[in-house]
Amino acid sequence: MTKHFGSVVAVDDLTFSVEPGIVTGFLGPNGAGKTTTLRMLLGLVSPTSGRALVNGVVYRDLPDPTRTVGAVLEASGFHPARTARNHLRTIAAVAGIDFARVDEVLELVGLGADARRTVGKFSLGMRQRLELARALLGDPEVLVLDEPANGLDPQGIAWIRGFLRWFASSGKVVLVSSHLLAEAAQTVDDVVILANGRLVGHGPLQQLLQGATASLTVRVRTPDARRLVSVLQAAQPGSGTVRLEGPDTVVVEGTTPEQVGPVMAENRIVVHEMTSTRGESLEQLFFQMTEGGQMGGHPIGEPWRSVGAEGYAPLPSREEGTS
Amino acid sequence: MTRLLRAEFLKFRTIWSTWAILIITMVLVGGLGVVVGFAPHRHDVEALLYPARGTSRWFDLVLSTMTVSVDLALVLGVICITGEYRHKTVTPTLLCEPKRGNMVATKLVSSAGGGVVVGVAGGLMGLALGLGLVAGGFGDTGRMLTEYRHVFPGVLAACVLYAVYGLGLGALLKNQVVALVVGLGVIAVVEPIIEGVVPSVGRWLPGQAAEALESVAVSASRRGGGGIFSSTTHLITWWEGALVLLAYGVVLAVAGTFTTLRADVT
Repeated sequence: MTKHFGSVVAVDDLTFSVEPGIVTGFLGPNGAGKTTTLRMLLGLVSPTSGRALVNGVVYRDLPDPTRTVGAVLEASGFHPARTARNHLRTIAAVAGIDFARVDEVLELVGLGADARRTVGKFSLGMRQRLELARALLGDPEVLVLDEPANGLDPQGIAWIRGFLRWFASSGKVVLVSSHLLAEAAQTVDDVVILANGRLVGHGPLQQLLQGATASLTVRVRTPDARRLVSVLQAAQPGSGTVRLEGPDTVVVEGTTPEQVGPVMAENRIVVHEMTSTRGESLEQLFFQMTEGGQMGGHPIGEPWRSVGAEGYAPLPSREEGTS
Repeated sequence: MTRLLRAEFLKFRTIWSTWAILIITMVLVGGLGVVVGFAPHRHDVEALLYPARGTSRWFDLVLSTMTVSVDLALVLGVICITGEYRHKTVTPTLLCEPKRGNMVATKLVSSAGGGVVVGVAGGLMGLALGLGLVAGGFGDTGRMLTEYRHVFPGVLAACVLYAVYGLGLGALLKNQVVALVVGLGVIAVVEPIIEGVVPSVGRWLPGQAAEALESVAVSASRRGGGGIFSSTTHLITWWEGALVLLAYGVVLAVAGTFTTLRADVT
């Protein structure tokens, strides 16, 4: 699919497929075109060219959309004066779903006690739960979620993570967009990575991680930090960069403790602590793949650290567009 | 279609705006009726123009306040579709009925139904007012009911068609405030000007078409017009009025379906 908004190319010749039985993560920085893609899939936005098929047909031709696809979207609406239960009933009525199911899904997402409250009084997290309840109303075969973790508390995020895994394990389709990489890394099996509207990576997460040059980030706490930086810069263990993170902490990227350890022993440097993080690897992979354009010229990796101690770097500015 | 209609009526029922419209309709009909019926007139000249209390012409005048229901039916029609965009409920609406033509067709029918409800609310209030006046010692029930039967059917029909017209405006303009301003502004400001300058065009505009429809029984009862309703003589016939209003609603809604409503929902 391709989508132009005026002269802006939001999605550029994007092709991918999503398999049942696994959770597919749809990743990309803000403005990459994730929401536009999902809205095209759901028939809300018309593609400039191409089409998206669900079970072989475009969304508009689905005989029973509510029972086929459940969608959790950002900026989906609620009438503020309507109660949560009545909101869902208007949708159940169209799909011919029994009203008892409305109370069932409200219980499922933990809004049972709030069913008779008007949505205008709901917090962001509660609205997100209600949106999830709406998606589940028709007991669909496909779940499409746009940033479902937004506004949810940690408990809600953990719940949704478990729920998506359970949902997919019954042979159903889950496509979930996110810009929160650490969160996605814990949930998804496959990833589709989007940058500037273009597909930059697609496949099983583990396979993509192995194929990427990114490896571990090693963090060393030592009283001799400045000397460690210079010896590591001279020795160049691994492919990554060496930085001083604080008065006593050195960060080495793209390496392993096995590579860093001998260098420190050789130079007789006292070590108080050495840790390596694997959690950032998706982040590194992601930054490598989405390199250029999005990061506003900051070095790929951890852009804010280049600012140093003077302050906290602002979010890189970007052109107006949809996320 | 039955399911879609069921959902639409549920939507009407579960927001306060609908109830507010019905209450405002009743308050206005009752309030204006009393004001019109008992407005003080100081001079003999005014008294000549103004029918004596309890007469057929007086009941006709008082019960004509039921026509305010028509403007509120227009508001209901506008809200029916622009509310979906204002509160972004159009996203879930289109997710469960992705064919936009179906959405608009359903709303055409449901807004007509909403128009019936507004018309009936105004009509019931008018009836209550009439009975109250009779009970208060003005005229008699038979005279009141005769005039009521002349006014109410036209008002009810105009309410239905105005709700459809409002829906059409809303479908085309999408923005609630703009659609309300245009809808009511055309009736209140633009039409009187056009009507004054080129009556041959003005009488085909929605407000005059509605008046033609409302005045069907009035002019029939006058047998050739005259009296305080002498201005009705240049109106188109009631059935022309009905067709013109229906055409406005349907044409605008169809135009809206192919233009604004086809646009991306983001």
